Amino acid sequence: MESDRALMERVARGDQAAFTDLARRYGARLLAVAARLLTSRADAEDAVQRAFLQCYSGAAGYNPRWAVSTWLYRILTNICVDELRRHATRTAYDERAHAGGPALGSANHRPPDAYLDLHRALERIPREARILLALRYVNGLSYGELARIRGISINTVKSQLARGKSLLRVELGEQGAGHD
Amino acid sequence: MIDAESPDRLDQLLARYFRPEAAPPGLTRRVVTATRESEAGLARLERSLAIQATPRGVSLIRVGRLPKPATATARRLAEQAREEIHEYLRGQRAFFRVPVDLVTMPDFQRRVLEAARQIPFGEARTYAWVAERIGHPRAVRAVGTALGRNPIPLIVPCHRVWRSDGGVGGYLFGTDVKRRLRALERATPVLEGCTTTHIVCRVGCIHGRHMRLENRVIFASVEDARSVGYRPCRVCRPAA
Repeated sequence: MESDRALMERVARGDQAAFTDLARRYGARLLAVAARLLTSRADAEDAVQRAFLQCYSGAAGYNPRWAVSTWLYRILTNICVDELRRHATRTAYDERAHAGGPALGSANHRPPDAYLDLHRALERIPREARILLALRYVNGLSYGELARIRGISINTVKSQLARGKSLLRVELGEQGAGHD
Repeated sequence: MIDAESPDRLDQLLARYFRPEAAPPGLTRRVVTATRESEAGLARLERSLAIQATPRGVSLIRVGRLPKPATATARRLAEQAREEIHEYLRGQRAFFRVPVDLVTMPDFQRRVLEAARQIPFGEARTYAWVAERIGHPRAVRAVGTALGRNPIPLIVPCHRVWRSDGGVGGYLFGTDVKRRLRALERATPVLEGCTTTHIVCRVGCIHGRHMRLENRVIFASVEDARSVGYRPCRVCRPAA
């Protein structure tokens, strides 16, 4: 199979077939991350499409010292993070506009019941930790890859993941006590 | 109830929760099609714009020709506006620094335009929201008229005002441009960090202008950036 880097070089030369191959190779993995970070399936797929669009139009700026997968995850994560920002301000606006009513978009993503507590707990931990957890657990990325994707040190990755998990434990423990 | 007492169990739980699903059928085809269809499309608009300014700020943006600004200060502001619009339409700017001159405008219209300026980048509000905001909740139609006569489109973002039913409403440059601007703002992030300096800026800040693509990370808020060791830029002051 052709290497990722060779594929990217062809994409940079405007090779449509290479681009299709790249989308086939990484589409599902990127969608898995986006689906776990964003509220709706439609938003997740839109984010993946925009990531590939940016990858295509910015392929000439690809630095071969980067693994293609890391490069793509960086692009996708940047898009998802901005989508999360927009969602947060939109939710705040909707809540003000419909005080007391449900926030728009909150019912779009319904995890299976078994994961409902975890889903809610994840929504309450700091955003950067949640993003790192998603990248780590969806695709099993290494600390080094996570550090590169978010532009932080490996130590910060480790401390964010540890902090995220410890907060999750607290959240889940408290929820459990509340339900019993 | 979920038992997450031991670290291993939480790990397993997270692994199951985040387990990747199979991609929906046709994903690759949709991605490739969307990429082919995407065109900038706003470049033509930019080339046709004429900008007028007073020494206080930008006063008029129109398609066509306008007389040159009268003073050196006004010419400098018009030139600044042109540069910022250029960056904005290329997805490289999420805010305008150039001042606007609304001083000579009738009071009602000025308040409508001031309210439109409060709508955050990349978001939309309704005509009714603007009417309420200026304390005239029943004047929705008049708000629409005032926005339709916006002398400084793009910089005063009347394109962020849509109908309550989700309809596009009107727009000086045409509804197609209004839709494109919404898509553009949706695709333009607001806060970017530089991985080499660990400084977070508003997109469009002079510091980000020469940032290489590989050094760019996006943040959802200044607090998020701070939480992983970035500090806000002192020039564009994203936390303000």
